[in-house]
Amino acid sequence: MTPEPRPRDESELVEMIHAIDVPAPEHLHERVREMVDEHGSSRVRQAPRTGLRVRFGAAATALAAGLAALVLALGGSGGAQLSLAQASAVTLRPPTMPAPPESGSDDGALAASVEGVRFPYWDTRFGWRSTGARVDQVGGRSFHTVFYSEGQGRRIGYAIVAGRAPSLSGAGSVQWRDGTAFRLGRADGAEVVTWRRDGRLCVVSGRGISGATLLMLASWDERTVAA
Amino acid sequence: MRTLDPQSLTQHVDRLYRAAWALCGSREDAEDLVQETFARVLSRPRVLHGDDDVYYLMRVLRNTFLTNLRTASRRPATVATLEDVVAADPRPTTRPDQALEVQEVYGAIARLPEDFRLALVAVDVLGLSYREASRALKVREPTLTTRLFRARKQVARLLEVSDGESEAPGGPRGKETGRPGSSMEVRANDT
Repeated sequence: MTPEPRPRDESELVEMIHAIDVPAPEHLHERVREMVDEHGSSRVRQAPRTGLRVRFGAAATALAAGLAALVLALGGSGGAQLSLAQASAVTLRPPTMPAPPESGSDDGALAASVEGVRFPYWDTRFGWRSTGARVDQVGGRSFHTVFYSEGQGRRIGYAIVAGRAPSLSGAGSVQWRDGTAFRLGRADGAEVVTWRRDGRLCVVSGRGISGATLLMLASWDERTVAA
Repeated sequence: MRTLDPQSLTQHVDRLYRAAWALCGSREDAEDLVQETFARVLSRPRVLHGDDDVYYLMRVLRNTFLTNLRTASRRPATVATLEDVVAADPRPTTRPDQALEVQEVYGAIARLPEDFRLALVAVDVLGLSYREASRALKVREPTLTTRLFRARKQVARLLEVSDGESEAPGGPRGKETGRPGSSMEVRANDT
């Protein structure tokens, strides 16, 4: 499409729209290819397996590789102070990547981590199953989020921020659990809990989820999941 | 009757992205919408009854788009908007000279009422036939035709106005146009 004058009538408009051939960005093509590949490999593996746990090895590998690449590329980057609302916004967005499965070696964690900080496995203990993931850039920071859902359809986003933990403005009141400070706040109509694990900022939030539930899940993870 | 081949989907990413961009009015939202659409399609085996892949994808895109729109409308006003979230790829297109024109045209489409927008995207952006589009959008063909006619007229007018106001501060031109439902100056006058 060339920068032509305005369409004089509807037929010129249609021609103009037809002439737009802007391609999708390469990373979107790549994501779709990964999704298709993961779909194919998980279906092939499903046939011989009959266990309770469905494992998504390829998805985990792809997710881990993606996370690792992003972490390597962006890890340790500095950045301005973030607001609680900014930090929680990504945890309320929809997933764009497959859910990581449970780690084969550690029952308390998923097979996904950010700079050694692993995402917790909540299914058996709490009934919150990992259902998707996404990666976002917020204020120059790389947010890696895993989403969990339970039987009633409610969803929690658990984000680990790569790099040295930024300070967070408007982070709310503090609750201590086993020597760790958990900050409880509210943003965009949702309760939010933030805290640090091994120097990394973690954020959990979900619509319709109480601060107490979020705090319980966040602090359980802090006590039991090996980093 | 045949089963949808997931591998064949990868060839439709560009078309679906353009359709999503025109629906959402924003590249970032379009990327999310495309990914959600593919995630939904891939969630289980799909049987097509002699339908074209693109027709089927349009159906899923429409459903995903409408679901997102409804969900977004139920949310309370945000403190930090999603504009705070920067897309991973800030490049507008691989051909920067097109970026403004494309954004203007798709932005104008995204300002249409939802029904008009879907009709125009299905036929003019995605290239479906009237019959396929009316089935994908679950409307009668005459209704689709009417909506399409009005949608084109309104977009042409929006672009015309945009041109006339290009020097005016706050005018639509050169402005990142709205997200779904965010600017609905043009009202539906459907049959």
